[in-house]
Amino acid sequence: MDSNSQTEINENSYQVPGFIRNSSSRRSISSIQSKTSGGHSIREVSFGELGSKPIRHGSRGADSEGFSASYKEINDDDARLIYINDPERTNEKFEFAGNSIRTGKYSVLTFLPRNLFEQFHRVAYIYFLVIAILNQLPQLAVFGRGASILPLAFVLLVTAIKDAYEDYRRHRSDKIENSRLAWVLVNEQFQQIRWKEIRVGEIIKVSANETLPCDMVLLSTSETTGVAYVQTTNLDGESNLKTRYAKQETQMKNPENEKISGLIKCEKPNRNIYGFQANMDIDGKRVSLGPSNIILRGCELKNTEWAIGVAVFAGRETKAMLNNSGAPSKRSQLETRMNREIIFLSIFLVALCVIVSVCHGVWLRNHKDELDLMQFYRKKDYSESDVENYNYYGWGMEIFFVFLMSVIVFQIMIPISLYISMELVRVGQAFFMIRDNRMYDEASNSRFQCRALNINEDLGQIKYIFSDKTGTLTENKMEFQCASIGGKDYSNAKDSNEDGQTGGGPVLRPKMKVKIDRGLLNISINKHTSEGRYVNDFFIALAACNTIVPLTVDTPDPAVKLIDYQGESPDEQALVYAAAVYGYMLIERTSGHIVIDIQGERQRFDVLGLHEFDSDRKRMSVILGCPDKTVKVFVKGADTSMFSVIDRSLNLNMLKATEDHLHAYSSKGLRTLVVGMRELSPSEFEQWHSSYESASTALMGRAALSESRKQHRTSSQLIGRIRDRRQIAARRPGGNRVFKKGGANQVALIIDGTSLVYILDTDLEEQLFDLSSKCNVVLCCRVAPLQKAGIVALIKNRTDDMTLAIGDGANDVSMIQMADVGIGISGQEGRQAVMASDFAMGQFRFLVPLLLVHGHWNYQRMSYMILYNFYRNAVFVLVLFWYVLFTSFTLTTAITDWSSVLYSVIYTSVPTIVIGVLDKDLSRTSLLKHPQLYGAGQRQESYNGKLFWVTMLDTLWQSIAAFFVPLLAYWGSDIDGSSLGDLWTLAAVIMVNIHLAMDVIRWYRITHAAIWGSIVATFVCVMVIDVLPFLPGYWAFFHIAGTGLFWLCLLGITIGALVPRFVVKVFIQYCRPDDIQIAREAEKFRNSRDPQDAQIEMNKFWILLGHD
Amino acid sequence: MNSNTPSSSAGGPGSADLATPRRNSKRPKYSRFTQQELPACKPILTPKWVISTFLLISVVFIPIGVVSLLASRDVVEIVNQYETECIPEESRNDKVGFIQSSQDKNCSRTLRVPKDMKQPIYVYYQLDNFYQNHRRYVKSRSDQQLRNPGSENSTDACEPEEKTNSGSIVPCGLIAWSLFNDTYAFSRNNQQLAINKRGISWKSDRDHKFGKRVYPKNFQNGTLIGGGRLNTSKPLSEQEDLIVWMRTAALPTFRKLYGKIEMDLQTGDVIDVSLQNNYNTYSFNGKKKLVLSTTSWLGGKNDFIGIAYLTVGGLCFFLAMVFTLIYLIMPRQLGDPSYLSWNRNPGGHLAS
Repeated sequence: MDSNSQTEINENSYQVPGFIRNSSSRRSISSIQSKTSGGHSIREVSFGELGSKPIRHGSRGADSEGFSASYKEINDDDARLIYINDPERTNEKFEFAGNSIRTGKYSVLTFLPRNLFEQFHRVAYIYFLVIAILNQLPQLAVFGRGASILPLAFVLLVTAIKDAYEDYRRHRSDKIENSRLAWVLVNEQFQQIRWKEIRVGEIIKVSANETLPCDMVLLSTSETTGVAYVQTTNLDGESNLKTRYAKQETQMKNPENEKISGLIKCEKPNRNIYGFQANMDIDGKRVSLGPSNIILRGCELKNTEWAIGVAVFAGRETKAMLNNSGAPSKRSQLETRMNREIIFLSIFLVALCVIVSVCHGVWLRNHKDELDLMQFYRKKDYSESDVENYNYYGWGMEIFFVFLMSVIVFQIMIPISLYISMELVRVGQAFFMIRDNRMYDEASNSRFQCRALNINEDLGQIKYIFSDKTGTLTENKMEFQCASIGGKDYSNAKDSNEDGQTGGGPVLRPKMKVKIDRGLLNISINKHTSEGRYVNDFFIALAACNTIVPLTVDTPDPAVKLIDYQGESPDEQALVYAAAVYGYMLIERTSGHIVIDIQGERQRFDVLGLHEFDSDRKRMSVILGCPDKTVKVFVKGADTSMFSVIDRSLNLNMLKATEDHLHAYSSKGLRTLVVGMRELSPSEFEQWHSSYESASTALMGRAALSESRKQHRTSSQLIGRIRDRRQIAARRPGGNRVFKKGGANQVALIIDGTSLVYILDTDLEEQLFDLSSKCNVVLCCRVAPLQKAGIVALIKNRTDDMTLAIGDGANDVSMIQMADVGIGISGQEGRQAVMASDFAMGQFRFLVPLLLVHGHWNYQRMSYMILYNFYRNAVFVLVLFWYVLFTSFTLTTAITDWSSVLYSVIYTSVPTIVIGVLDKDLSRTSLLKHPQLYGAGQRQESYNGKLFWVTMLDTLWQSIAAFFVPLLAYWGSDIDGSSLGDLWTLAAVIMVNIHLAMDVIRWYRITHAAIWGSIVATFVCVMVIDVLPFLPGYWAFFHIAGTGLFWLCLLGITIGALVPRFVVKVFIQYCRPDDIQIAREAEKFRNSRDPQDAQIEMNKFWILLGHD
Repeated sequence: MNSNTPSSSAGGPGSADLATPRRNSKRPKYSRFTQQELPACKPILTPKWVISTFLLISVVFIPIGVVSLLASRDVVEIVNQYETECIPEESRNDKVGFIQSSQDKNCSRTLRVPKDMKQPIYVYYQLDNFYQNHRRYVKSRSDQQLRNPGSENSTDACEPEEKTNSGSIVPCGLIAWSLFNDTYAFSRNNQQLAINKRGISWKSDRDHKFGKRVYPKNFQNGTLIGGGRLNTSKPLSEQEDLIVWMRTAALPTFRKLYGKIEMDLQTGDVIDVSLQNNYNTYSFNGKKKLVLSTTSWLGGKNDFIGIAYLTVGGLCFFLAMVFTLIYLIMPRQLGDPSYLSWNRNPGGHLAS
């Protein structure tokens, strides 16, 4: 993204309000009334002529004529040309995608090759495959064919079956989707055709509550103003209604009577569902189109009888389909570290192979002259008449072959099965996180979601948290709490069961309950006092000055209807509900007028102009033609922006009182909002109208303007310690007010957006980093989405520490994607954040159990599993390696091929997975009680280089014990290879499983079953292998198991191998206990179980995370 | 996996359906399993446990070690290395030439019994430096052919000893080809000591692995003779020397059972061995030994396991003492929260 040029354009567009201010205002107006603050001078409200002229909708609607000249031309190369109502011509030159969709990846024919191709994208599988292929060469055939292919085949098969099933489901849903019906204009009349036959350029008619079949530009709607309401739940999850507009130029046309033709030139298909750039040549005029003129596939048309549009993107080119991709895949830090250790293991592997092949070379050299006659070598083949070398390719080649063979034999040194186990364990961990009752949000009926499956363990290592403040912390649940009107404080709101309103016909009742202040209610009914007038205007402002669309919803009781206010902003909703309860019920809103039921009397207000809220002005204004023929401007906005335009000359007392109240409210943690009103005289109105006209022509580019609106809608973001303020309630846009918790030795840093831009643009980044890493909390206010990502990157690029970003809005997406772990809150602001996130949850506060409990467990489990898997495979490889030293370096294995293969598949795999999923080092209670325990993950205590090397040392000792005890015990006896092989197999398996058992912290029944079951299973497998008479080892196990020495060896190996580990473990646990150990002991012996489980103070948690 | 098509209703958490009664709550069903609250045993290594573990190990291991050592000491073993001595002095410069020649290979050795030996006395031959576990060697056999009279020709694995001009070799392969063929005869005071060569192989091998109707064919007919010949009139299941030989040894130094002397020998007995030194170990400097040994419950004479058990047992006893000392010198109350790092240096982590 070219953010520099972006900001430049933004700045240009900022001039607009300034321009208007100079030309039109700074005028004091005497008839100030209103809520909190007294009067204001009012400016930059857009005007329209009374009634007749179409309404300008602020930045969204400021349109056509004014723009076309300066509007950025779309380059022809990048453009897509759509001839309206002429799909043949449209599709002639370019093959635009048809409207049939295909989310299925495979067809019957392509399944096998494609699925295999995709599976082999994983390096692990390629390694598997190469080894299996090498083993097929006769010279290198170390393992039997079956034994070498089995594991790979098994894994591939399981994955393929899973993929096939998923694809089958996708195909089925595609089919249903493609055969839905839509009305399309064919031969001058609308006919029903199937979705998949719709082509770009066709005109489509959609009726109310129907789903849109493709992305289309609105041509006309049933509303005379050209408004259509759509619900975008399926697209971004937002359930409120969005307004979209048809252009006036096309609105009047009826395509069934009058042939429409025109050319739309628009951008190429892209994923941005909030952006659209195009222009339309129609009737010789050029009209520009923006995001508000397009309706997207998957949305539903609501509250609009019908809408007609022309298809511009179809099928896979629709924005919905382009957005239909999963979360980007990330790799966990643990896995990255692990890969480093895997490189070490590869080096070991190569070293072992080199040792073997070099020794083999030396051996061959030493016995050069003997090879011909040696009974066990027999270099020459005498069976043919001319004597040839038998299976001997010269010294060099022999060494090379031995090298390759040793790679095959020692292949499991690289624990391929680990990758598969890790995936399984993560699935298990995800299962537990999703099923955790404590992370289920009742309000939104949403469970925890794991969208990315491969970074579970990162949750246990987070050091920096980046949180969006607005919405995320406050949940964006707004409620009207108190008001100060005309300098009077009304803040005694109480719950009330009172019915709001009785009017003609069915009783209308607001859907949401609001607390009522009795005094205020009484005043609002009596509007003839001066107080009453203030209150009256106040509530009209609340009811009118917004973009809320009222919807009537039926209830089981036919006499009662619920009124549901739909809107994009929760503040507005709260305010309109409040007004409704006080008897100012917004009943109807069209683009031209609104109807408010005032104390049972329906009044119609003409909307003459509307300037939607934007974050530069931080105000919204609406001009209403009132029933009493006066024209009034209502403004609401942030206190800073409102006080700057208040007429200070009037009633200073009232102003002072208001400001005091305001201050009192915000120190209670409430959001505050200031509302103002002014009556306009006809001359003022004229003047404003003309200035509006000139302003709109001066606009530079709408794309940029809307961009700036979006960027600035959200406010601040903070790093580190945040105090959850769930009680934050109504009134006042999320300014840069920030909650600081006073604390003894905690340092906080507050930066605002402008400074941040400066810092990020200059070389001060380093200083900022140094400074912020000394602080517990850093608050950044008023930052744009890209800056949020910039701050994340600032930390991420300079430390290895894990970062987590959490947010709920579209403006948090870049931050969520930038951080190591991105968490989306499925809250009120739509699902953009969730779609971009790795994990999603219903409430901010779930972060505590998520990180402290699940994150900790995931990390501990996964780190242990990785180390254990390294050990487990290396032990086995070393046992094989030691034996090779006694076979003149020829890679014979005493252990049968099948046991070698089954070792990591059956003998030892299940317990590590079970432990990886189930074992808990500490209970939930202790983890929540001592948030500091989370530090173990931050300090990488469970997996680090030191532990790896210690483990490898232990591995070395254990392999020596496992190999040399039988070797020495049977040295010079008549033991045969197969019997000794069985002993080694069993010794290794028992040792490895007991090793695991020693580290298990919590023994569940499943754990017992897995560990002891594995040992039993190994015995069974070894027996089965030994009852097959065609294998050389026939009956070997039963012979050796009949001797006492065998069992003495097993016992001796197990104890002897594990004693050093046990000693070190006991010593460290007793003399150098870490926090986890102490907490574990406390859990067992102190039983100080605090009854208030999960309810810990957030503070502790933040201190911990903030501290570096 | 995340393949929801956008139109398949995602059921967004909308305020729209707040009032409607929730039909399908997604609240996870409570179970102790899903909430990870299953009952569990959580053992902790308390001093008591640690010390008793070490003591237990030493209590178990030391007696076993003593018993094993005694058992091994009870075994009487006579080893006689003969590969050099059985070559006439004049041929010792060219041992391979001698062994390949058709000269008389007779050789007599004298063994002195150091201690009473109770029957059965096992007669082994021991080869050193013979890699019966060499890759080229172990693979060169056909278990099919050995077992099944019909699979005479399944000799793919047997190269380079799979067939001669007159047909497939039975038994084929390097292992069979290299059959050990020194023979021993024992006499005490000029009285023949009978050697029982029946039942020296595994019964399972005789019954299932080596066919009762498979007879040797074309065996040792090639240019290069590797070792012993077989009686073509006896089925493989009765060729016990072959069966023993074909149980390939695990290690380059190995013994194979030759037979059993079912007679007690007394201290000081002198046994004359008349042996045929036929087998060529000279080409790779292999050693040949004749071994007479009694057995114990633990097998042959090998002190290792006894020593190992004594060592581990002793070490564990020592460790038990060490840990007792540690626990006495540095007592620590388990689970005392004052040992938590943030309690040990309060504020430390905040200041950093």
